[in-house]
Amino acid sequence: MEPRREQLLIDPQKCTGCARCTIACAMKHHSRIDPALSRIRIRRFESQDLNVPVICMACEKAPCIKVCPMNARTRQTNGTISTDTDVCIGCRACIYICPVGSPAANPYTGQTMTCDMCADDETGPWCITACATEGALTLAKSGRLTAAIVRERANGGRKIYPYKTGG
Amino acid sequence: MKVLIIGNGIAGNEVAFSIRERCRETEICIVSAEAVPEYDPCSLPYYLGGDCRRRDVFRKQKRDYVKNGIDVKYNNKVASIRPDKKTVITENGEKLGYDKLVLAHGGDLFIPPIDGIDKKGVFSCKQLHETQRLKAHKGKCAVVIGSGAIGIEAAEALKKKGYEVHVIELMGWILPALFDEPTAKRLETAMESHGINVYTNEKVLKINGNKRVSGVVTDKREIKCSTVVVATGVVPGVGLARTANIATERGIQVDRYMRTSVSDIYACGDCVETVDACTGEVAMFQLKHNAIEQGQIVARNILGDHIKYLGAYAFARAHFFDTHAVTFGKTMRATDCILGDKELIEKENGGDYLRIVLLDGKVAGGQAIGQYADDIGFFIGAMWRKDDMNRLRKKINQLTPTAAAHSWHHILMGHLLQPAP
Repeated sequence: MEPRREQLLIDPQKCTGCARCTIACAMKHHSRIDPALSRIRIRRFESQDLNVPVICMACEKAPCIKVCPMNARTRQTNGTISTDTDVCIGCRACIYICPVGSPAANPYTGQTMTCDMCADDETGPWCITACATEGALTLAKSGRLTAAIVRERANGGRKIYPYKTGG
Repeated sequence: MKVLIIGNGIAGNEVAFSIRERCRETEICIVSAEAVPEYDPCSLPYYLGGDCRRRDVFRKQKRDYVKNGIDVKYNNKVASIRPDKKTVITENGEKLGYDKLVLAHGGDLFIPPIDGIDKKGVFSCKQLHETQRLKAHKGKCAVVIGSGAIGIEAAEALKKKGYEVHVIELMGWILPALFDEPTAKRLETAMESHGINVYTNEKVLKINGNKRVSGVVTDKREIKCSTVVVATGVVPGVGLARTANIATERGIQVDRYMRTSVSDIYACGDCVETVDACTGEVAMFQLKHNAIEQGQIVARNILGDHIKYLGAYAFARAHFFDTHAVTFGKTMRATDCILGDKELIEKENGGDYLRIVLLDGKVAGGQAIGQYADDIGFFIGAMWRKDDMNRLRKKINQLTPTAAAHSWHHILMGHLLQPAP
């Protein structure tokens, strides 16, 4: 398996929920201004005044690859996972098993779609350009994204909501 | 070292290719009962319905085996195993030696003892050659016996092919092993709205006809039809293991390293009995993702690693035209015989439906249809981590804005779990 070269980092505290990234994503992949066609989605929590951009994490042991009945989910050379639209029958198994609820179903074809880090564009993912002012989406190169940083970020949640394991 | 793999299914291939990925020297031989390279049984109903082409069913091509130096013996069934001599004997009388043997021959279709089940026009949808025969068959009316995942998908496929379809289920609702009644009834309504007749609580007594099928008799009615599809489930193939005195229960028994009771024989895939990763109970989950994981564990253990298999997990989905349903963990009915504080959370919003089973405040299982299903992954995670949902429900209202950013998936689950006002 190819090592992941780069990764999108999200910062929900900076996200204003303006949805520019979703429009940029739909423009890049479908040439249409339609947030429903975006591979990045913003979850809004009215009660907490919080917006969370959700993207594919490209898990190392991705469950979506295993559950797909058509083997349409394949890992790409840049480490992302994408759906082969020739084969996908739109059963949505990958959406259901996803631990972050990331793959989105294309409302027009029913097939799923996932972030490919805009692999064919050298200037980098379009959503990051769209989010330049807020800075809620940033790109981490593989050198920067060490296990320590990942762990530190993950610990943010654990401090607030410590798990009681076992029992 | 010579590794002999019995079965050319998903598990068997995963073992072969995982070994080859790590080690070029190992001699690998697969004994396949069928004449084709590895294909995906999950996709057969879609091939039947015309959603995908025949070549999309295959996971491997014959040249992939040649390229990787894997010897495949097509059309070869193993008759018995001689662990004392480290050989297997095929039905052609051929003797094959091994250093490590992997049993990955999967399950056999359960054929119910119904009068006339051997008539022409009775098909199954588990293997490629059977599905091809069914696809080539022409008829107007089809009866599907059994409503498991294969039965439901076959019914949809036959409907797409233009058949008039009837589904007969012995239990009280369709997909009885996967769904509880309220979820299954919603799927049933969806099927009926597409013109498929579903009869639950009915038993098939007889298949009529001389040589060819002309009808099906149940305890409540008689249906005239030319095609019968048997989809009454899969039983693990334990017969071969018994020839080598390998311990079997419902399936082949394996330890945490996927070893059977006889040394140098491993087993994985549909034919084994494993533990549930969440509850630790002995269970059988004949699902694709478990087969893949087990295959990888076997491969690594054969190569000398000592890797423990954490257990299988239940996750399945069923879809019917545009109704999508998903299930994970235990159904409410499966928790009936477990002691503990049970709570059922149901949410309904138009056609969308969510059902979460809590056992002592922890997620034990759940089902969803429609919009709610998109977030079911969070609950699967919560089940794995054994999150205390009662605590979470209290906690989410006290989170400060900075804290909320880190635990947004808890907020989402907390909102869904609030009891209806």
